[in-house]
Amino acid sequence: MDNLDFINSVVTVFGIFAAICGLVLLFAKEPLSCALGLLGVLIFTAGIYAIIGEHFIATIQLVVYAGAIMVLFIFSIMLFNVKHDRESFNWKSPLFLFTSVVTAAVFVLLGRTILQYFDTPVIESQKGIFTREMVTDLGGNSQVLAHSLFTQHFVSFEAISLALLIALVGAVVLAKRKLN
Amino acid sequence: MDIFTLAQLLAKIVFVFAVCLGVIPFLVWFERRGSAWIQGRVGPNRVGPFGLIQPFADVAKFFFKEFWTPAEANKWYYHLAPIFALVAPMAALTVIPFGSYLMIGDQIVNLQIANVNSGVLFILAFAGLEVYPIIVAGWASNNKYSILGALRGSSQIISYEISMGLALLSMLLVYGTFDLHSMVAWQGQKFFGFVPAWGVFINPIGALIFWISTFAETNRLPFDLPEGDSEIVAGYHLEYGAMKFALFFMAEYVAMIMASALLVTLFFGGYQLLPGVQAAVDAIVSMNGLSDAAAQNLKAVFQFGCLFLKVAFFMVVMIWVRWTFPRFRFDQVINLGWKMLFPLALANVVFMSVVVYLMS
Repeated sequence: MDNLDFINSVVTVFGIFAAICGLVLLFAKEPLSCALGLLGVLIFTAGIYAIIGEHFIATIQLVVYAGAIMVLFIFSIMLFNVKHDRESFNWKSPLFLFTSVVTAAVFVLLGRTILQYFDTPVIESQKGIFTREMVTDLGGNSQVLAHSLFTQHFVSFEAISLALLIALVGAVVLAKRKLN
Repeated sequence: MDIFTLAQLLAKIVFVFAVCLGVIPFLVWFERRGSAWIQGRVGPNRVGPFGLIQPFADVAKFFFKEFWTPAEANKWYYHLAPIFALVAPMAALTVIPFGSYLMIGDQIVNLQIANVNSGVLFILAFAGLEVYPIIVAGWASNNKYSILGALRGSSQIISYEISMGLALLSMLLVYGTFDLHSMVAWQGQKFFGFVPAWGVFINPIGALIFWISTFAETNRLPFDLPEGDSEIVAGYHLEYGAMKFALFFMAEYVAMIMASALLVTLFFGGYQLLPGVQAAVDAIVSMNGLSDAAAQNLKAVFQFGCLFLKVAFFMVVMIWVRWTFPRFRFDQVINLGWKMLFPLALANVVFMSVVVYLMS
């Protein structure tokens, strides 16, 4: 078994697991099961990134999404003890029927497009400036990303962190009902 | 992937996990005998010499206990949690370098299972996943004490992960790399010709914050609120018995080993030889007239021995602390995390960046 075959088979296995977790996310009854399904999707996607050699994206996916955001999701689900109100859901409401028809149509079209084009070679026109060799020469993904983030995109980086800080302060102010 | 690469990879995996899981019985023995000694008791001393076989007797007992599941538990997640608890810290262990390299024939064997491009972030990723088994176990057992333990555990781990990450960041500024091998190599330098350039001498505050945070991350006393036995019986693993409980128990020790190994790698020179060992290696090499390859292999063995000793030291201190300090109250834990360690770690990052800027 050569390397590419191995990578392809691992990607396939991870993809199948991710799809199963996605189904859990869609069809599970308890909110926590849904959240854990999403966690599974994130972990297996991170596995796919790691096996194709994009370690940085894989670890960031685990640190940020699986390690931080999903923990907060699950924490709040557990804290507020969300009850599943499956009984009260109206399966025959016109809005639900309309959205399900639209979703089904989009899904069928998407599936048709994917099946039509899935064996066409990679599109060459949309690539960024960095090739894999260039990234390795420059010292790996983290180095290249950090360098462009803190030189070229420094102002937007600072602006985004400021926006996040404002959001954080706003959340604290909103959560604290009485300010003295 | 040729057969040599595969074989050396498998050998490294088996070696690391065998050492890591193999020392657990002795750690358990040490924990029980040590606690007995600290508290003026005798401790287990009947099974084997000095009671050394006691942990194995415990394991046999765990295996033959009834495999019991609470009726109201969510079976799937209930059984998943202990497995996840053991897997997360073991996955993090794969990127810890346990020696420089071996020369086998003309092939170089890098003594690290996974040479991940962003090694430290990989460890942080799996340290972040360690909160899930606690949450899932507490929720799936369907028990109020378990839920309380899970809530305590998750909030505690989230809080201390921040100061841990910031302490790590201050060291990343110094080393300028994510690669754990390069970090250890950096620490091979000497200050003034004789002081080893360990991270702890450059950044003692960062080392202290990181060390305190590892206690909280591994739920060891004085931060064992998630299982606080006097308040919530056993917390998140209250409803677990037999081997399922033993898995949580093993996971705690693997997490301790992982945290200590990371602490040693970042702040205490990793596999760098302890002072004086280099002279011993040189003496053996010159006495036996070893070739370069054999000398390097010998050095790698000594490097692993030094890493083992350093990690063992921190494990012993962890056990010592557990039986010396009382448990915090929960508000004290959260206050310490958010009002003391977090601002201190942040200030330390600023301070270290000034230091690094002035030094370069």
